[in-house]
Amino acid sequence: MTRPAGAGPASRDALAHAVGLRRSGWRWTILAAAALAAPLLLQGAFYHRVLALVVLAAISASAWNILGGYAGQISFGHAMFFGAGAYMPAFVYTHWHAAPALGLPLGVALSLAIAAVVGVPTFRLQGHYFSMATIAVAELIRILVSNWPLLGAAVGLQGPATARTVWDLTFRGSVTYYYLFLAVLAVLLGVTAWMERSRMGYYLRAIRAGERAARSLGVPARRYKLHALMLSAAFTAVAGSLYVVMIGFIDPDSGLGILISVEMVIVTALGGAGTLFGPLLGAAILIPLQQTANALFGGGGTGFTYIFYGGVIVLLCRFEPGGLLAIWHDRVAPAFRRRSASAVRHAA
Amino acid sequence: MLLEAQAVSKAFDGFLAVRGVNFEVAAGEIVGIIGPNGAGKSTLFNCLAGEASPTAGRVRFDGADVTTATPEAHARMGMARTFQIPATFTDVTILDNVMVGAFLRHPHAAEARAAATRVLDFAGLAGVAHLRAATLGTPGRKRLEIARALATEPRLLLLDEALAGLTPAEIQRAIELVREIHRRGVTLVIVEHVMEVILALAQRIIVLNHGEVIASGAPDAVVDLPEVVEAYLGRSLTPRGPAGAGAC
Repeated sequence: MTRPAGAGPASRDALAHAVGLRRSGWRWTILAAAALAAPLLLQGAFYHRVLALVVLAAISASAWNILGGYAGQISFGHAMFFGAGAYMPAFVYTHWHAAPALGLPLGVALSLAIAAVVGVPTFRLQGHYFSMATIAVAELIRILVSNWPLLGAAVGLQGPATARTVWDLTFRGSVTYYYLFLAVLAVLLGVTAWMERSRMGYYLRAIRAGERAARSLGVPARRYKLHALMLSAAFTAVAGSLYVVMIGFIDPDSGLGILISVEMVIVTALGGAGTLFGPLLGAAILIPLQQTANALFGGGGTGFTYIFYGGVIVLLCRFEPGGLLAIWHDRVAPAFRRRSASAVRHAA
Repeated sequence: MLLEAQAVSKAFDGFLAVRGVNFEVAAGEIVGIIGPNGAGKSTLFNCLAGEASPTAGRVRFDGADVTTATPEAHARMGMARTFQIPATFTDVTILDNVMVGAFLRHPHAAEARAAATRVLDFAGLAGVAHLRAATLGTPGRKRLEIARALATEPRLLLLDEALAGLTPAEIQRAIELVREIHRRGVTLVIVEHVMEVILALAQRIIVLNHGEVIASGAPDAVVDLPEVVEAYLGRSLTPRGPAGAGAC
């Protein structure tokens, strides 16, 4: 099987790879510059808050995307990881008067434990068992927490009103949160981009495309699904912790509600699951709409959000399961693809 | 012996699809498994590849008992397989498909990419490596199936009707590819419906009927045995013309 590489194809391949990297590097540089400048261009408390929430939604959707997008294991219960991350900072503050920042690693550890409990038994099986288990466990945890006085039961827990030290992560205005969230998002995207190009990314995409075939090629599917789940759960917990330090309050609905899970699915699916940029695009579209609806209709805005999410699901299923990025590529790429198709005919 | 099946049986809800099959494959051989539809070829194949575990009996690979080993463990030990219906990863490129196989022996992406490129070159798919695998037709997908399995650098390659559904010209090219793989030191077990392929490639064949081995030996000798002809509904298995219209 080992023949010296034909110089032609190998160098052509390396060149195409390098060109692709440089081109996407430019795109990300522009995007990063725009993100850094956004609070300066959009002034006002409402806009700053929406910007911070957009980045937060991008974090949780990107975290969901590692498992749901790349590995194709659809979780409808990621709120359990978000909730683990959100409750711990409020918990350590309420009970021990500790800095909420201390709750973040605890939330991550807790979410990893939950991930193992859900993933180890269900990933033995292929198919929908994992999806069903996520819904069941997430709802179970929500009901449990709603009735547990230690966690504030139905009333919830509060964070510090004013900052004692910087570790309270309590800032006035949303701009500081925005930049904090942006830094976390950058780390997450860096990890995901690295994963995308490494063995793990290839293995996860292979599992999504066909677990049976993947395993026949030596992919330990169960182990990789579990790794993806844990990575995904950890970053979702971070998103939860960031949420609670910004909002300063957590209750079963805002931390563990099914809408939290659904939002991650919709944001990712709308933009394009299994892509680095998809969750960012989805968050940039959905969150401003959702916040505007909340501002206009008050509590009724949540109802509007449900209806809107339902509509998005129907449209995606009917027209383009690949999301907006797929629509973009399918409009731009056809000319390229026609050329490719003729090349295949010549080769095959 | 590289591969040994010892009294392998597989039952589905009481129905014995494979009954006490014994055979051995030595390193460097090409062994064909033939039989009429429903003879248990695919079931036996899945038992060998670790896809299904036998109800009774043992499978040994290079001396190690692999009866209950997972498919990924089989791949790691050096046994690769193709799927009868190509299980192509359609939404990624052809190169990416092969890289999944190559990652087994080359953990770093650059090395896996180089190894996959060599395999694609060998399999005649280098020109289309950067296209999405969905753009390939059946012949291309069958070829990709073989390339992907080869990328795991196997000692034994199990081909499950890897040439079915191809035109005579494509079959000739595929036979050449399989011969070249064999020349590079890979042992082959071929389940095949197209007799032309078996007669062209196999040094030894095993005939299955109703889940049992009814004959085995050199292809020319076996295909004319009365019980083998009988199993194939009384038709002769020897190709009649140069086009090789097989009995299937």
